Amino acid sequence: MIEVKNITKTFDGATAVDHVSFTVQEGESFVLLGRSGCGKTTLLKMINRLIEPSSGEIRINGKLTQEGSPEVLRRSIGYVFQNTGLFPHYTIAENIAIVPRLLGWEKEKIRQRTISLMEKLHLPSTYLSSYPHQLSGGQQQRIGLARALAADPPILLMDEPFGALDPITRTSLQKDFKELDELKSKTIILVTHDVQEAFELADRICLMDKGKIVQAGKPEELLFHPADEYVKGFFDDQRFQLEVRMIGPDDYPALVKAFNHFKTRQS
Amino acid sequence: MEQAQSLWQFMRQESAKLLQQTFEHIGLTFISLLIAILIGLPLGIYITRHKKAAGSVLGLAGVLQTIPSIALLGFMIPLLGIGPLPAITALFLYALLPIIRNTYTGINGVDPLVKEAAVAMGMTRWQLLFRVELVLAFPVIMAGIRTATVINVGVGTLAAYIAAGGLGEFIFGGIALNNTNMILAGAIPAALLAILLDFLLSLVQKMGRRKRQATLWAMPIVLLVFSSFYVLPLGYSSRLLAGFTPEFMGRSDGDIGLRAVYGLKIRTVVISDAVMYKAAYEKKLDVISGYSTDGRLKTYDLLTLDDDRRIFPPYYAAPVIRKEVLERYKDLGPVLNKLAGRINDSVMTELNYKVEHLGQPPEKCARDFLVQQGLYRDPAPAAEGTIRLGSKIFPEQYILLHMYAMLIRGYMGLQVETKTGLGGTKICFTALLNNKIDMYPEYTGTALLAILQSPKEDVQRLGGHRDSVYQYVKRSFDEKYQLTWLDPIGFNNAYALMMRRSQAQQLGIHSISDLTTYLKKNKR
Repeated sequence: MIEVKNITKTFDGATAVDHVSFTVQEGESFVLLGRSGCGKTTLLKMINRLIEPSSGEIRINGKLTQEGSPEVLRRSIGYVFQNTGLFPHYTIAENIAIVPRLLGWEKEKIRQRTISLMEKLHLPSTYLSSYPHQLSGGQQQRIGLARALAADPPILLMDEPFGALDPITRTSLQKDFKELDELKSKTIILVTHDVQEAFELADRICLMDKGKIVQAGKPEELLFHPADEYVKGFFDDQRFQLEVRMIGPDDYPALVKAFNHFKTRQS
Repeated sequence: MEQAQSLWQFMRQESAKLLQQTFEHIGLTFISLLIAILIGLPLGIYITRHKKAAGSVLGLAGVLQTIPSIALLGFMIPLLGIGPLPAITALFLYALLPIIRNTYTGINGVDPLVKEAAVAMGMTRWQLLFRVELVLAFPVIMAGIRTATVINVGVGTLAAYIAAGGLGEFIFGGIALNNTNMILAGAIPAALLAILLDFLLSLVQKMGRRKRQATLWAMPIVLLVFSSFYVLPLGYSSRLLAGFTPEFMGRSDGDIGLRAVYGLKIRTVVISDAVMYKAAYEKKLDVISGYSTDGRLKTYDLLTLDDDRRIFPPYYAAPVIRKEVLERYKDLGPVLNKLAGRINDSVMTELNYKVEHLGQPPEKCARDFLVQQGLYRDPAPAAEGTIRLGSKIFPEQYILLHMYAMLIRGYMGLQVETKTGLGGTKICFTALLNNKIDMYPEYTGTALLAILQSPKEDVQRLGGHRDSVYQYVKRSFDEKYQLTWLDPIGFNNAYALMMRRSQAQQLGIHSISDLTTYLKKNKR
């Protein structure tokens, strides 16, 4: 369980994150959604102390993250970057093995773990001795995911993990991502500006604007019971697709209602 | 082809010396490089962490880089004396900037995203540095080390100026002696060394990552091994230390003559005449090979030892002039000869002292002297004709040139064109021979040995007598080149051994024979 309490971050007087509080349950997928510059990435980086908060506190399983060394904390939290952040001088195998090696795992255990992750992410094991630049963007992103999962951390932080990919690659990676058994038990906090992606992956969505939470809740709550005009307006462009996705193909009357509603708005 | 062959012969003949100098050179280069890496690398890393310090650190290293190398060596002498210590310090300072700058640039050039990822994975600061930053910055840092190495091989030749050895001994000896083979015997190995080291380091620079880590460990060991090549360049062990110029070392009327004729055995280092006098004054050296009319004799209170067995040939100065000019202007010879016999050794030393040490302009110094001698006249009414005067590039010649110019203007009213600073003997003489100048002051010894390159038998027959040498060069110049030697000015700017006056008096040394006897009695 991750508890964020009254967290604020200011950079040279400008407030990036403004008194934010939320709780993420164990095994939950929590999506921080918002436009560029809303403070969602800053918030994410404060959880593993890549950025230190100006005030407020964060607890993981009841323990304050500020206590103890940041390195130990980070090794227990997987992190996926938008632009992979793979080490160009490490092979794929070495890139995946970074955290296990920092934790002092045995070589054989690391090797087996690496091979099994490659299989799960549908990557041929021939890539193990390749270097990142020899792989495509989608493949690199899969390696980035494998690296974050390597030491089997209970928490995964993801910063726009599919943001830099073309739509087809993105869809295929998102599909594989959802099907990964490993992820079912993990607590995930994912940052995105993509509404579709948020609805695809989130148990709960937290919509942010200007460093503050506008509304946090299940996707359908945000869609059907928006807290204010901003929330409502945020989804308007894609409301029809989102509603169709929420309702599902079996509830025909509800679908018709949504469609009529959509048509009235169009005219 | 003949040149190449005789160069090869020279190198074979001097192979022991060449090998020693090469090893010294490699040693000097690598000791200073090792120290520069040990200090520059951490400093470069430090300023990537403390960006505020970066400007001042890089600025300071940059300023050090701009100090002319010979000047830097000059600054070092009062602080560190002469020999390896100041040489290594100077080389180290020159190697510092490229290493600091490339470390700084290299680490700053590492993709910030990769650094952030390393931190996010849970690496500590040191793990980030050694596993990510240094490995990725390696090619850039190596480029800095390459630059530093090549600079060190080049500047290392100047170590010969302050008695630290290296390939510069041959190069500067060769330049001073006008011996091309000797220059090349030093310059070619130095150039090859620079190219070879640069090439080897370029291989290291291009290495893959796996080899890089092994290289990082192997490099200090290799550097240490090469550094140990430097063995202190010592000859005899003796109570007194001599510093001779590269030129003096290679001349038969220099170090070779001292050994052969006097049997002088003294611990000797090679040093530039630019710093030699000062080093003697500061008790870093006890005996030096100087010029007997040098102004610094007076500045530093040095005593000239009597050459009681006459191994140094006389270097009496006299104007050398083209015969046709002398015939066209009948009065010119007598006018120029007004100076003949007027300036003896101590007077010339005094004049040089005024210019070199007190900083008087040569022109004022010349005029004051002529006025004092009652020779000065204001310019006479202008007459038709121009005399072109030349001089070599040191104060004594400037002073003489101005005196002659004033005499010609004052007594004859002719135009005078002065071409000062014509480099060395070769340039002056060639200019005179090719009718580019009409006259310059030359020295009998230089004419005998450097210009005429007289056969050994002739030189021995003349036996270093003032008049016989003068007559010999006068006659030869007249026959060979249609050039006339006017009467000698009086002073003899010959080679001389010098000591601090106080030390010489204390030890009771007046002549070179005294010095030899003293050294024999007081062996270590």
